[in-house]
Amino acid sequence: MSMQLDPEGYQPPKTGLWLLQGLVLLLFLIFLLRFWYLQVHHGDDFAKKARDNRIRQAQIYAPRGLLRARGGELLAENRPAYGLGIVREDVKDVDATLKQISLWTGVPLENIEKRYKKGRWRTKAFEPLLLVPTLDFSQLAIIEANSLDWPGLEVMTRPQRFYPEGELFAHILGYVSEANEKELEANKELDLGDTVGKQGLELIKEDTLRGTKGLRQMEVDISGREYNSQTLEEPSAGSSVTLSIDLGLQRIAAKQLEGQAGCIVVMDPDTGELYALVTAPSFDPNAFTRGLSHKEWNALRDNPKFPLQNRVIQSVYPPASIWKLLMAGLYLQEGIDPNETVKCTGKYKLGNHTFRCWKKWGHGPQNLTEALVHSCDVYFYEMGQRIGIDKIEAFSKKNGFGSKTGIDLPHERSGLVPSKAWKRRRFNQPWQGGETVITSIGQGFTLVTPVQIAVFISSLLNDNGELLKPNLFKDTPRTVQGISPLTPDQRQFIVKAMQETVEAKRGTARILRTKKAIVGGKTGTAQVMKLKIDANDNRLKNEDLEYWQRDHAWMAAWAKFNGKKFVVVTMVEHGGGGSSTAGPIIRNILNYIYEHNE
Amino acid sequence: MIAFDRRLLTHMNWGLLLITILLFGIGVLNLYSASAFMSQEGMAVTAYYQKQLVWGVMGLGVLVLSMLIDYRHLKSLAWPIFIVTIIALALVPVAGKTIYGARRWLDLGFFNFQPSELAKISTIIITARLLSRSAHPLDWKELFIMLGICSIPAALILIQPDLGTTLNMLLNVGGIILFRGLTRRVFKTCAIVIPSLIPVAWLCMLDYQRQRVLTFLNPGDDPLGAGYQIIQSQIAIGSGQLTGKGFLGGTQSQLRFLPEKHTDFAIAVFGEEWGFIGCLLLLSLFCLFLLAIFTTSRDAKDRFGSFLSAGVFFYFFWQFLINMGMVMGLMPVVGIPLPFISYGGSATVVNLCLIGLVLNVSMRRFVFKTD
Repeated sequence: MSMQLDPEGYQPPKTGLWLLQGLVLLLFLIFLLRFWYLQVHHGDDFAKKARDNRIRQAQIYAPRGLLRARGGELLAENRPAYGLGIVREDVKDVDATLKQISLWTGVPLENIEKRYKKGRWRTKAFEPLLLVPTLDFSQLAIIEANSLDWPGLEVMTRPQRFYPEGELFAHILGYVSEANEKELEANKELDLGDTVGKQGLELIKEDTLRGTKGLRQMEVDISGREYNSQTLEEPSAGSSVTLSIDLGLQRIAAKQLEGQAGCIVVMDPDTGELYALVTAPSFDPNAFTRGLSHKEWNALRDNPKFPLQNRVIQSVYPPASIWKLLMAGLYLQEGIDPNETVKCTGKYKLGNHTFRCWKKWGHGPQNLTEALVHSCDVYFYEMGQRIGIDKIEAFSKKNGFGSKTGIDLPHERSGLVPSKAWKRRRFNQPWQGGETVITSIGQGFTLVTPVQIAVFISSLLNDNGELLKPNLFKDTPRTVQGISPLTPDQRQFIVKAMQETVEAKRGTARILRTKKAIVGGKTGTAQVMKLKIDANDNRLKNEDLEYWQRDHAWMAAWAKFNGKKFVVVTMVEHGGGGSSTAGPIIRNILNYIYEHNE
Repeated sequence: MIAFDRRLLTHMNWGLLLITILLFGIGVLNLYSASAFMSQEGMAVTAYYQKQLVWGVMGLGVLVLSMLIDYRHLKSLAWPIFIVTIIALALVPVAGKTIYGARRWLDLGFFNFQPSELAKISTIIITARLLSRSAHPLDWKELFIMLGICSIPAALILIQPDLGTTLNMLLNVGGIILFRGLTRRVFKTCAIVIPSLIPVAWLCMLDYQRQRVLTFLNPGDDPLGAGYQIIQSQIAIGSGQLTGKGFLGGTQSQLRFLPEKHTDFAIAVFGEEWGFIGCLLLLSLFCLFLLAIFTTSRDAKDRFGSFLSAGVFFYFFWQFLINMGMVMGLMPVVGIPLPFISYGGSATVVNLCLIGLVLNVSMRRFVFKTD
């Protein structure tokens, strides 16, 4: 092997040497600048970005405030709801596991598979993916017992609103369910999946009940798995609310309406507190918090008796003879002598139109008290005609009719007080004299809610004639919405007449008579069909009519007992006669009150 | 053939050896951190750093071996080595093993051999051999012979496909040619022709390679996709700030926000944990390392040794430049590791082997005569 040696001492290329040194210098300068730029000049920005990468914040659930009845009984609470999920990264055989879940829970396999396919892209592999939202205790027990054989199963607990009394308080409490887009938009505190009040007090008291969520901070890796976590802000639970409603009374009242469509309201005339507020039929609010199926929802919506309607505040009816109490006040104020009599022959003629009294053969001569006690229509026709619709309208409005009572429940209706202007606007027709006549006995266009009647009766009984806002909360100050235009004497006159209606021999509310308390009452029968006369000019009895054609039964009453006052109003839809249907209801409620307020 | 003289040790470039060992040590330490990750049970460490240590020990053996054989023998061995390399490379498309979609390996039974690694060494040797024949600046004929010979392994590696290695190899050849010097006419022509080849190169690139270039030009376009690596590595380095987050304290790497943190992006781990001060020191070490190779090239006894060292200089220089440029967002993502810092078994062995050759040249700079 020959070695080829360079002749004289080797001289490396000069430019080459400069090139190498220059390149080293270039490398140094480029990266010195770049390191300085990234780490010193923009170091803070990148430090923040690195922090944002690994720090996540999450909210901590704040327990929703509880709702209680007057006596402290729980009406709405938060219970753990159990659901079944799987942690994907721990599951060995997904198909077999889904099949097994379907077997345990009875949920069809395709539903579970659908949820799985939908959820797997949104849930991280190490996080539980909820497949069955609700488990009952027997399912829970089976799953817990078999969990060792099925890795990756996870029973998930989340708080769920529960209403122990179910249907009984559905219309007062309302319910909560998942917030929709609109609610999320309106309230920045809400996050997707949060529940909010949708109806009733849950809706009205949302801000009080909700509480404030806490904040948790954790360090996560790239897949979102948590490492250290700390609480930044403790959650604060929502405030509890105690209702004025008496649980026992509410139960008794609800019992009175079983199988009927109607409502009952019991009010303290001095404070405005509501002791009972019942509407029938009702619905189970727990079904709404669980999540209603389409079928359940359609059944509720299409039910001809409208179980979702809170009849106390959302249904309007002709006040019928209850209205005579108001008219009596108006007549007194307009200077009509209460001793002046009108002779009732069973008929009242105006022009060529004949208006009948409910008593076919008439009551004979009636003064104001007698006309109230016997509920004589002809007396009120005559006097109403004398006073005129304009005054009737103004006086009705002054007593709170035609406007909302302001009760703390959503969707209250204001009813209707007709007037000449209203009729022109509504029908483009002039007011007819006959319409004044029937308005005087609470028929015609006039529409009221049962709670408006309760407020009006209360104003007759309290010291200053106050029209109080019906109050659903215990130990809260009363709100005076207006003052009755009647003098104390005039109010006393009506109260006395109501008492007579109970005590007099032919009084229409005689059913309420008792030795235990001083009681007053007034019945009403609101016609649904105008003509109920057969071919022989005989009135048809309610029993002979279709349910939908039967009259509505009204009754308003008060009782003074042991130094306390109670106002009770009931309305039974298509219940027939006021005293026969509504009477026993009020009697039973009052009996309960006597027993429990001794 | 293996003549050992005590004087050899005195002339050896000890500084280069020392810096090499220092860089390797920093690399292993950094790999330890890059291998650590948070798990719910606490911190866990994968075995990358241990494997790297084993490769390092093997590499030191190779280094000593390549030091002992007088480099001048390589001059005559240059062609045989080159031909063996070409054969091995040609075998890859026929009998190679496909891993991660690229066919780069030959299964030798006891281990997977990557001919492109051998090609890195043999190309440097053949280039030094060809260029050392004369001293005058290269003319057209010599340049085309050079390029023609080197383009054979380059083409074979490009089709594997392995753009990084091809690029590194061609840049090395270009570097040594520049070191040797060109005639003015050739230089001027090249300065015009080579930039005009860029559009052609663009057309030849594969889709993913073009995407990388586009992503480099605007990483924000696709922050969760292709731009992710570039963005996260800059966040890692930048968030190290002046003094770093401390050893094992880098959140970008421990929580796995940083991709490829053992291999191509290892320096981002270092930058995050040691900060600007650490990076400045590491950069200085890289420069001292290159300067140490430079002195050997400068002081070499003959042209072959000088060009051989210059080839090794460029081999490391381009890798430093491309890898750091990529990690710091100055260049598109090209899969070129950072010598000594990135994990990689065969790369470690090749690196140390090449250092061995440089030490070999430095040892024998005063030896005039053998055999």
